[in-house]
Amino acid sequence: MQIKKDEVVWLLLFIAPAIILFFLFFIIPILFLFVTSFTNWDGISAEFVGLENYTKLFNKKSFVRAITNNLYWCLTAALITVPLALIIALLLAHRSRGWKVFRTVLFIPQVVSSAAIAMLWAAMFNAEYGLVNFLLDYIGFSDYKNHNWLGNIRTANAALIGFSLCYVGYFMVIMLAKTAGISEDYYDAANIDGASQFQKDLHITAPLIKSTFFLCIILAVIFNLRQFEYVYLMTAGGPANKTQVLVVYIWNELSVQRLGRGNAAGVIMIAIGAILLLSLRKLLKSETYN
Amino acid sequence: MQRDLSSNFYFIFKWVIIISFVFYAVFPFLWLVLASLKTNAELLDDPFKLPAVFQFQNYSNAIREAGLGKLIINSLVISTSATFLNILFSSMCAFAIARHTFWGKNVLFLMITAGILVPLNALIIPYFAIINFLNLYDTRFGLILVYCAVGLPVSTFILTEFFKSIPKEIEEASFLDGCNFAARYFRIMLPLALPGLATAGTFQFILCWNEFIYAMLLTSSTDIRTIQFGISYFTNQFFSDYVGMFAAVVISILPSITVFVLFQERVINGLTAGSVKG
Repeated sequence: MQIKKDEVVWLLLFIAPAIILFFLFFIIPILFLFVTSFTNWDGISAEFVGLENYTKLFNKKSFVRAITNNLYWCLTAALITVPLALIIALLLAHRSRGWKVFRTVLFIPQVVSSAAIAMLWAAMFNAEYGLVNFLLDYIGFSDYKNHNWLGNIRTANAALIGFSLCYVGYFMVIMLAKTAGISEDYYDAANIDGASQFQKDLHITAPLIKSTFFLCIILAVIFNLRQFEYVYLMTAGGPANKTQVLVVYIWNELSVQRLGRGNAAGVIMIAIGAILLLSLRKLLKSETYN
Repeated sequence: MQRDLSSNFYFIFKWVIIISFVFYAVFPFLWLVLASLKTNAELLDDPFKLPAVFQFQNYSNAIREAGLGKLIINSLVISTSATFLNILFSSMCAFAIARHTFWGKNVLFLMITAGILVPLNALIIPYFAIINFLNLYDTRFGLILVYCAVGLPVSTFILTEFFKSIPKEIEEASFLDGCNFAARYFRIMLPLALPGLATAGTFQFILCWNEFIYAMLLTSSTDIRTIQFGISYFTNQFFSDYVGMFAAVVISILPSITVFVLFQERVINGLTAGSVKG
């Protein structure tokens, strides 16, 4: 609708709150992050130090470790969680009996807070009373009795990343919804040709939800780049910084008042996010049109 | 004959996968609930054995000793206020964008929705500084403001798409009847947009209720602490009272599961409406 002259004030009033909030909590923080990353700001005073924060960060083993761990999380999600979600979505796509119940149940971890999930899985991995060790012992792996999964330098990362598979339901729901839009005609035609269920899934459903599959990979990468609670509450980045991730690293810099350094880490994190997003888009776009 | 074999195999494969993931998603929760009803000594026993007596006092202990009631009230007040403000502001903005043409409209929409892709946790230090600058550190309003802003891109996106789907004729008729801008929004569009508001609101509420890092960053006193930040203290507070911690975790996850089960079609529709276009 074309706006009338006397309604311009109303229009401005309506968009003002959103714009103010957006500036206050998106634009200004990002600019502020960038500017202070070149200073030694400690909350009281700030001096320009050039690229010192960045060079110091990249010379720190624990920071490089945090970056590789974040990439590790992203890669697990993109190569394991999302493809598994695709398989489950294909299996439920036929709307066989009870599919709604499975959808609801698989989605539940997504609506529970990360803090509660982190505490739950820390308990699952507990050396004394955790269910994981008990089940392993039960099926014959008695070496793992009293094994401290999250405290052991060799198993901490694997345990953290293994539990993250419980988020498969979120991506499954997105892809499952996309299958609802596929016309029955395709399947009818395939039935006439005598295609099996597996062939139909592979040659009809999967190609048609390809773009949604790629979208899920992009979402998975964003979520895993900014994740904080699991590592912070389950291992606090330990043992010996083995499980460190970027946001926990920034948090630790904040708690020792090295705010400029922490913000430099923030800039690097946003840059990594942007690079990942742009290259994924490029990669997946060319893939979609081929 | 061969086809029968392969379709049987497919059938078995399908159910093994689905059931093992349901197991993976749900079993930990069932174990948690069962463990929360045991004594600390029974916990170290066989995890599948039912407790001799169901220890419901674990729950009353957790509520009393840890002040869970207060934490829940704080979370409810903060989450509902932030949801209300978020939905009000984003629906006003979405109404302006979806139903009118004005200079810079597309840029505004693109800019706000691009916020979805910003890894916001990179900004914890600037958020800390801004909230301190506004003198809102350790206040409920500070958290409400941050939650309201953090959810703005998603809500604005969902609501703009929803407003666009409402037929133009209804609004045009009221325009000719002399309704002004605000009346068109409050009297005509808002009632029509109720399903969209419910979808965006459910999302926003779950986001606020589950939020952890900003609650830890921006509050310090126990008086205004939220439940998610509150339960993280349990590991220190109870020391070896694991069952008390489990009871507290169960209490903390009940509200969001309830909201989800009640509004699940909304959540799932919103998720797919918002992301399929994305």
